[in-house]
Amino acid sequence: MIAEDRHAWINPSRTVAMYEIFEHTADIGLRVRTDSLNGLMEDAAAGLFSIIVANLSDVKHVETRRFQLPGAEPDLLLFDWLTELLYAFDAEQFVLAASEVQVDGAGLKAECHGECLDAARHRMEHEVKAITYHGLAVQRGGDSWLAEVIVDI
Amino acid sequence: MPKQPFNGPLERVNDCCWRIPKSYKAGMRVDGLIYADDEMIEQIKHDQALEQVVNVAFLPGIQHASLAMPDIHWGYGFCIGGVCATDPEQGGVISPGGVGYDINCGVRMVRSNLFFNDVQPQLVGLMDELFRNVPAGVGREGKYAFNKKELRRLMRRGSAYLMDRELATEEDLAHTEAGGCLDGAESDFVSDRALERGARQCGTLGSGNHFLEVQVVDEVFDDQAARAMGLQQDMVCVMIHSGSRGLGYQVCDDALRSLRNAPKKYGIQLPDRQLACAPIDSPEGQKYLGAMCAAANYAWCNRQLLMWQARQSFAAVFGRSWQQLQMNLIYDVAHNIAKLETHTMRGQTQRVWVHRKGATRAFPADHPETPQRYRGIGQPVLIPGDMGRASWVLVGRTGSMEQTFGTACHGAGRRMSRTAAVRHAKGRRIEQELLARGVVARARSWKGLAEEQPDAYKDVNLVVDVVHKANLASKVARMRPIGVVKG
Repeated sequence: MIAEDRHAWINPSRTVAMYEIFEHTADIGLRVRTDSLNGLMEDAAAGLFSIIVANLSDVKHVETRRFQLPGAEPDLLLFDWLTELLYAFDAEQFVLAASEVQVDGAGLKAECHGECLDAARHRMEHEVKAITYHGLAVQRGGDSWLAEVIVDI
Repeated sequence: MPKQPFNGPLERVNDCCWRIPKSYKAGMRVDGLIYADDEMIEQIKHDQALEQVVNVAFLPGIQHASLAMPDIHWGYGFCIGGVCATDPEQGGVISPGGVGYDINCGVRMVRSNLFFNDVQPQLVGLMDELFRNVPAGVGREGKYAFNKKELRRLMRRGSAYLMDRELATEEDLAHTEAGGCLDGAESDFVSDRALERGARQCGTLGSGNHFLEVQVVDEVFDDQAARAMGLQQDMVCVMIHSGSRGLGYQVCDDALRSLRNAPKKYGIQLPDRQLACAPIDSPEGQKYLGAMCAAANYAWCNRQLLMWQARQSFAAVFGRSWQQLQMNLIYDVAHNIAKLETHTMRGQTQRVWVHRKGATRAFPADHPETPQRYRGIGQPVLIPGDMGRASWVLVGRTGSMEQTFGTACHGAGRRMSRTAAVRHAKGRRIEQELLARGVVARARSWKGLAEEQPDAYKDVNLVVDVVHKANLASKVARMRPIGVVKG
């Protein structure tokens, strides 16, 4: 597995989050490593938007949206969460700056902070068509969590 | 994701075709057949795409073979460049992965009565005008807004809906695959989410490998066919590559979600869950087909509006109407779609659902679906290459009906990952390199341009050579890009 672009993204509710992009012929792979499932979801969201927007750090906290999703299986929950965020971007032009996520046995609750896409300030990078099931994985090893997901470009 | 080279059996059928016998894995119902030459197959072995060709052979109702074109590369469930036909009378399934997220991604080509020497002095101005007028890039909305009711009508009627709004002509429809409208579109099967995503995107290019190119006829290989299409050496044309935008992506996503449990429900064993499918005649299968046809019709409207905006841009720059410039549509053809077609293979005539994912229909001369103007030559097959080298115009041949359910390749196929392409581009000014090759590029994103640079793609000339040699489609003209708009 090749680490391509490793990013540290500061989430106000945690210290440092990590995600990286990995190789794929036609599309983009996202890999997230954290110490909690909540953090995994937050960092994956950041990773997704880092693929869409080049200057994520310039996205302001102007509005807050709440999301609630059912699901017991972490991989499908991750899939549904990222799909929900992608829809909010593509249909409503919502760009995510930060999120706080709580996962329990029933599903996920999230508060998302961000703003509407501003073509003058946000440097758009990739059009993500969809989150895919290809190689979708969420694994726990002791105190650490690892997720991989490929997005269709 | 480690790439293991394919180590299964690979038998050389001839100099442009290879077979993976169905004895390779228990569960394969048919052989795999890959159209590639000796050199290409070595590269293909390292891509994991061949395992995907094997996996598709497991699908219930699959006929003849799991097929792959020479531009094959790794995709979701199905490889890109994959073709499979399933028979509903033999429990055949329909699989959204065999169509792709971008339902009816396809290509259209427009001619003109302008030649290179007419355009070259105004090329920069022309490209600036196209870049201004044709919405491209992430999050860019289109000029044409449709409310939900209008969108549903548009999806039911396809390009004909735009004719009523004087944004399309009868000739445009006559030279679009399926007349720009698939029967069987059920707009009510398209979710509100898909409508929301698509509401402001009809008439937008998108991003990634989508493009609008101004091209010049570089070399003519078939005078009769070129004449029938109105093509001449050095003629300036426009090629447009785009699809069903967010609406289509959402339709596919919705279908994959609803099919998550379908294989288990119908007792279908799949080696890869991305081959999620349902019997064609099941409620799930019918719902996907209805929505897929609706999304396909949206895509034809999308490309029609993109062409309309391109015509207006040319008119503005050259001071004549598009009609005076004779910017007539040569053809529009899909390369991500499933179609119900009649095929006779090995003496057996069947109605089958042909899944084409990164593969283009290539019907021969005299086929009833080939437009009247081309009945003597064959259906135009439009093959976009990369933005630095070439694209191709071919015509379908009888060999495609005999071997590949009337199908040929769709493009060059990637050979470099996006991240590798960006690394390869570091320190380089891609747009300057293109300019040195005589190509004026206008792009919304440097990274996007870097990812789409010519080096990231296989050589389309080699892909087309195989298709020509196998008699799936034959060469009419090679096109040279002189201007490109990227999102």
